[in-house]
Amino acid sequence: MTIPRKYLIALVVVLPLLGMVFAWSGLMSVRASTGHWGVTDWFLHWVMKNSVRTAALFVEVPPLDDPALLPPAAGHFETGCAICHGSPAQGRSDAVLAMLPRPPDLKMVVPTWTDAQLFEIVKHGVRFTGMPGWPTGLRDDEIWAMVAFLRKLPEMDANAYLQVSGLHGIGHAGEVSPLPITCESCHAEKRLTEGSIVPRLAGQSEAYLLNSLKAYAEEKRPSGIMQVAAGTLPEESLPELASYYAKQAPPARQIGQGDPQLVERGRELAERGRPADKVPACLSCHEKAGGNPAYPRISGQTAPYLERQLRLFHTGARGGGPFSHLMTEAARSLKEEDFAALAAFFASRESRGP
Amino acid sequence: MNDDRLAASGRPIRSGPSLGRHGVCRRHHLLLFVFPPLASCSGAQSALDPAGPEAAGVATLFYTMLIGGIVIWCGVVGLLFYAARKRRAHSTKSAGQLVLWGGAVFPTVVLAALLTYAVWLMPVMRPWFQDDASGMRRIEVTGEQFWWRVRYLGEDSGPVFETANEVRIPVGERVVFLLKSPDVIHSFWIPVLGGKMDMIPGRENRLTLVAEKPGTYRGVCAEFCGPSHALMAFTVHAMEPRAYEAWLSARKNSSGADAEGLALFLRHGCAACHAISGTEARGTIGPDLTAFGERGSVGAGSLANTAEHIARFIRYPDGVKPEVRMPHFSMLPDADVERIAAYLKGLR
Repeated sequence: MTIPRKYLIALVVVLPLLGMVFAWSGLMSVRASTGHWGVTDWFLHWVMKNSVRTAALFVEVPPLDDPALLPPAAGHFETGCAICHGSPAQGRSDAVLAMLPRPPDLKMVVPTWTDAQLFEIVKHGVRFTGMPGWPTGLRDDEIWAMVAFLRKLPEMDANAYLQVSGLHGIGHAGEVSPLPITCESCHAEKRLTEGSIVPRLAGQSEAYLLNSLKAYAEEKRPSGIMQVAAGTLPEESLPELASYYAKQAPPARQIGQGDPQLVERGRELAERGRPADKVPACLSCHEKAGGNPAYPRISGQTAPYLERQLRLFHTGARGGGPFSHLMTEAARSLKEEDFAALAAFFASRESRGP
Repeated sequence: MNDDRLAASGRPIRSGPSLGRHGVCRRHHLLLFVFPPLASCSGAQSALDPAGPEAAGVATLFYTMLIGGIVIWCGVVGLLFYAARKRRAHSTKSAGQLVLWGGAVFPTVVLAALLTYAVWLMPVMRPWFQDDASGMRRIEVTGEQFWWRVRYLGEDSGPVFETANEVRIPVGERVVFLLKSPDVIHSFWIPVLGGKMDMIPGRENRLTLVAEKPGTYRGVCAEFCGPSHALMAFTVHAMEPRAYEAWLSARKNSSGADAEGLALFLRHGCAACHAISGTEARGTIGPDLTAFGERGSVGAGSLANTAEHIARFIRYPDGVKPEVRMPHFSMLPDADVERIAAYLKGLR
């Protein structure tokens, strides 16, 4: 049997037209109050799960068992995620629960996804659901920290959550603002350990702090966590913040004793550079008497933080203030074994001028 | 174009003759009269205006071939006219004779003579294979993207001092150039003194050259090495031996007096890559800047050496030399950049 040509034309031309007419008529309801039909709901979720599964196929998962990954991710969870997903410390409002689709209770859904799939969802978000992607596409390391945190979330009670996100510091002397989450929640000296990936701000050069805050706010230093944190601050408060931290005395603390061989290799590179590879000596700019204060003080930061920043510079993803391209150039020719050595050397050194 | 006009126009120096003398190929001014294009063969970067025996060999070979070529070309054109105007055909025998003598024997003899002459000239043009270079003055030149590191070696092969984008040699003394490269293949060529020699990563090539006339010449990179290959030149000063020795000893104790300029230079970290002898600036990644004020150009032949050009290079090196490794310093306060530029210009 052959279909006559005029019916085919009707099918190809008229049916889409009818569809457009239906859409124009406004008879299609977009009311969230009525919810989806059961079948629509099933279909949409089925498509979403398939999409995430396929996209996550080739994602390589780094080790996620480092407890230092949790605090910055938890702090960001409180600022960015808890409002919709709730947290162990606080339930959600009815307004959020009336969203369509309703933001899932992470306690229930996290265990149903693999690490790679969680990474995919956190990095890119989910279309048509209100779930946003990560604020920058250049910081997979931050997203992995968030995945590590999400893994731990289902078993956390309110107390554990407050501990890890730094919220328990509310109202203590020295807080910058009475907001539930402040700079101190992550950066306070008492929150930092030798393994922290969060930088020490106390005693840092004011010029560098201000450049960095501006760079975060202007999205010139990519970081989902810090863009959200600094981007909402009023511009005129940035100099105040920079000066607040710059005036704090560098904390008296136990200097970490790195592997002496590693430290020695780092010292060699920091003092002399490696001209054959076009790697300049770190100390010809950093912590130099009479040097430019826009070059940060790096001694006394934790080794994991330093290593992370060096790797970001090396790949060109670090960004930063008006001087940061100098460091991108300096780190371009670093070798794999240099990162840990430099980090160990500067972590084991007392912070000094300018 | 003289140096002052160049400074005023601020344009990059691209062609050889722009940076130097106004000499013409005096020995060949008759040829210049006949062939005006040869007028561009004079000056600081011309193999046809030789100042050393190797380049003279090249020039002689060139002129021999040019004159021979002109004579043969005239003969061929004459034959063409003859063939076009001749009414009666040649006999088969005389035509065969013409093809044999004009088409086979003549070219064979000419080419054989030319080959013999060129082979005979070779030792003059390429004396680098003199293995016994001991006792000769040695200068190590390293081609880098896109500048020249120049080290004057001492008796024990250790560097006595380093400079960049400028070579000084005494007149009348054969000098060994040790040629190296850390990145890609460059080629070291001072057309006025001799032929070119590649600089190959991982090995050291040797070239010996001698300048017979004092003067300022121009050397270039003769092997494409990246986006700023054409902006990779150097100045060669062939000096009277006494003046050369005076320069050598002065160079070892050079200085600049501007303490504030030096402080700014160090403050912004310039010393991470650049060295200035007599100061704590000891970086060896980029060109050594000792006595920078005496150099003929900024950026290895890119701009004439003025304080404005130095400041421009500091602010936007990539704008002057595409893909140069030096990062830009346009974020520094204008006053700082200008002070550093003035300091560098004042270094002697």
